[in-house]
Amino acid sequence: MNYDHIMIHYGELSTKGNNKRAFIKELGKNIRHALKGYSSLEYHSDHDHTYITLNGEDPKPIISLLEEVAGIQRISLVYKSEKDFETLAKNALGLIQNEEGKTFKVIAKRIDKTYPKHSFDIACDLGEYILKNTDLSVDVHKPDISLHVEIRAEAAYLYAHSYRGAGGYPLGMNGKVMMLLSGGIDSPVAAYLLLRRGIRIECIHFAAPPYTSDAVLDKLKDILAKLNIYQADIRLNIVPFTKLQLAIYQNVEEPYCITIMRRMMFRIADKLAKSHHCLGLATGESVGQVASQTLDSMIAINDVTNYPILRPLAVVDKIASIAMAEKIGTYEISVRPFEDCCTIFKPKRPKTKPKISECEYYEKHFEWESLVDEAVKNVSVIIVKDGVSTFYQHDDMQDDDEENKSEAE
Amino acid sequence: MIYFDNAATTRPSLAVLECFEKENEQCFANPSSRHAYGREAYRKLEDARLSILKSLSLSNDYRVLFTSGASESNNLAIKGIAKEYLRRGKRIITTQVEHPSVLEAFRSLEKEGFEVIYLPTKEDGTVDPETLKENMNKETILVSIMATNNETGSNNDILALSKIVHSFPKAFFHVDVTQAIGKRDLPYSSIDLFSFSGHKIHGLKGTGALILKKNITLLRQIDGGDQEYFFRAGTDNLPGDEALAVALEEATKNLQDNIAHAKEISSFLREELEKNDEILMNSPLEGSPFILNFSLKRKKASVVTEALSHEGIYVSSVSACNSKGEPISYVLEAMGFSKERAMNSIRLSFSRENTLEEAKTFLNTLQNILERTINR
Repeated sequence: MNYDHIMIHYGELSTKGNNKRAFIKELGKNIRHALKGYSSLEYHSDHDHTYITLNGEDPKPIISLLEEVAGIQRISLVYKSEKDFETLAKNALGLIQNEEGKTFKVIAKRIDKTYPKHSFDIACDLGEYILKNTDLSVDVHKPDISLHVEIRAEAAYLYAHSYRGAGGYPLGMNGKVMMLLSGGIDSPVAAYLLLRRGIRIECIHFAAPPYTSDAVLDKLKDILAKLNIYQADIRLNIVPFTKLQLAIYQNVEEPYCITIMRRMMFRIADKLAKSHHCLGLATGESVGQVASQTLDSMIAINDVTNYPILRPLAVVDKIASIAMAEKIGTYEISVRPFEDCCTIFKPKRPKTKPKISECEYYEKHFEWESLVDEAVKNVSVIIVKDGVSTFYQHDDMQDDDEENKSEAE
Repeated sequence: MIYFDNAATTRPSLAVLECFEKENEQCFANPSSRHAYGREAYRKLEDARLSILKSLSLSNDYRVLFTSGASESNNLAIKGIAKEYLRRGKRIITTQVEHPSVLEAFRSLEKEGFEVIYLPTKEDGTVDPETLKENMNKETILVSIMATNNETGSNNDILALSKIVHSFPKAFFHVDVTQAIGKRDLPYSSIDLFSFSGHKIHGLKGTGALILKKNITLLRQIDGGDQEYFFRAGTDNLPGDEALAVALEEATKNLQDNIAHAKEISSFLREELEKNDEILMNSPLEGSPFILNFSLKRKKASVVTEALSHEGIYVSSVSACNSKGEPISYVLEAMGFSKERAMNSIRLSFSRENTLEEAKTFLNTLQNILERTINR
C-alpha cells in the first residue's frame, strides 16, 4: 500500500482573512511552476490544503521541490481513503505495516462534523484495531510512528510523514524589492531569504569597468540561475558606475569614500526602485562585518532614501551565511577566483562612524546629481529566466519600460 | 580581436585541424589492437614519432613519448628520473623561475626527501652557467632548466648549461622547451630529455610530448598498459599525436621566417613602449621575440588588461597569487624586481598570425587607456 497524495498545509496564510483566496491562488501557481517537470500530477485546492494526486510519481523529489516553495508550512505524504470506519481501519493497518518502528500513536481530527465518531473515539478504535492486528505497542508520548487521520467531507486522509515547508507567504504577495547584488557570498543568501519569505526581487549591480572585471557578470548570471528555483525570472539591472566612482575618488576624503559611494548606490537604487514599482531596497549587509556595515554607517547611508531597507542577514554571522550559500549552491559561484581590480578604491582607513553632516559637506563639493541620472539612464539589463540569461543594452530597453507600466496597471 | 596571448595558447592551424578530423574519420583504431586496422594505426603512430624527430633533426637515438602536454611531460620527466635513479644520488637541481609544473614536481620530491636546489637567476631572468657549476656535485642526478621563460621570454644558454651537466656523468639534463620549440634554434641533441605542448605551436590542447634519449628509463607515473615504451599507460591518441607532428613540422619548417616576423613586431613595440614613462620593460633585449613583458609604473595591471579586454585586445597579466592573496609574479620577484613591479606586469606574446598593424593599434589603445585610468 502506497501513499497516493501530497497534502500541503498553508500555515501563516491562515492569518490572512479576506486575502486568503488570492494567497491560495498565487501559491497554487507557484507550486505548479515548481513542479512543472511532472506532467502527470493533478492539483486540487481548498480552504485549508492543496492536494496533489501523485498518479504513481515518486514523491521524494517532488517533496524536496515543494520544500523550497514560499508559503507552505508543512507537506504531508497522505493516503486518501473511504470514510467508512471498516475501510478506514483496514487502510490504516495497511499503511502502518509498511512503517518502521515498534511503537505508535493515532492522532485523529474530525473536520466533517457529520461523521458518527468523535475524534477521540476514532483514535481509540483505530489504535485498538492496529494493536490487535500487529506486534506494535502504543506510546502516546514518544511514538516511533505517529499516524494522523483527518476526516473531511470528501474523504479521510491518513499520513505518517510530514515535512517542514519554507514558511512565509507565496512569492509576490508581499510585492517586490530592489536587491543590491555584489557577487559576493552574502547578497545571494539575502536574496534567497527574501524569496523564501515570498518577496519578489529585482537585482541591481554596480559595475565599474575596467576597475571591476566583467567576469563578475558571468558570476551573477550563474547565481541568479540558482535563484530561479524560487523566482522563475529575475531582472538584473547593471549600473555603469565608473564615472561616479572616479568623481567620488577625486572629490571626497579617503575615509568617507565608501560611505559616499554607498549613498550614491542607494540613490540610484532608489530611483530605479521607483520606476520599477518596487516597495523596498534590500542588501546582504551584516551589522559590523565591515566598516560600511556598522549601524553608524547604516544611518548615514539610509539617509538618502525613504524606502524600507531590508537586511535579512543583519544579525547573521558569516559562518551561518556561508552554510546557507552552500545549501543553495551559490557559494561555489561566489568564491570563483577572478581578479578583483576594485582594490584601487579600497580606502586604507574607512570611517566606521560616519556623520550625515560630513557626508553632506563632501557631496556639496561635486556635481553628482547629473552623474547619478546618467548612470540610471544607461542601465543595461540581464533577464535570467529558468536559468537562461538574455542581455539588453540600455538602448533596447524602451519597450521593456512600457511593459512595466502596463504590468503596474 | 587582437590576440597577444600566444604564450597561453594559440589558434590551431588549418592543417592541424584537417589532420585531426581526417584521422578520426579514417583511422580511429586503437594502435594497441592486434588486427590489421589496429596495426595500420600503430604504423601511423610510429610515423608520427619519426616525423617529430625529423622536424627537430634528431637521430633515432631519441624516443618520442606522446603525452597530454607539457605539464604531464615535465612531471613524468622529473619524477620519473628522480625515482628511477635515486640510488645514484639524491640531489636534483632546478631554477626559481620554472613553470609551476616543474616547480611543483620538485617541491613534491623535496617532501619525499630529495635534496632540491632552486637556482637563482640573473637580472635578465637567465641562469648563469657558473651558478649551476657551483651547485653541481657527484650526488646530482637531474638538472631541469627551461629553455625560454614563459613570462619574460628570457633565453637560457642551453648549450653551455648542458656542457656543465654532462661533465657529471650521473646527471641527466631535462629542458622544458614549451616556449622555445618552433620559436628558437635549440641544440636539441645536447639535451637528454625535453618537454613541450602542441597547443603553444598552433596544435591542439591535450597533445604534447616528452622526447628522451633511448638509454634513459623512467619510473612511470601512470600505471596500466604498455603504451609509450612502457613509460606512460593509456590508449594512444593517434589523431592528436599526428596533429602534433603536423604542428611541429609547420613550426620548424619556417622557423627563421617566424622568428624574423615576431622580431619585427616585438622590436617595434619595445622601442615604442620604452619611450613611455609609464612603462618599465622587464623582458631582456636578447630574450625571445615572441614574448614582451613590461610593468606599469603607476597604474594597476589588472585594470589595464581589463580595459584592453573591453577593446577586444587580449593580453595577460599575472594570475597566480602569493600567500597574502595578492597576484604577484614569482618570476619577476626572482629577477630582483620590486613587489610593486612584480604585481603590475603585462605580458604580450605573439605568433606568426600577428601583424605590425595590430601592434600599432595596441599602442594607441594602450596609450588611451593609460591616460584615462587612475593611478593605483
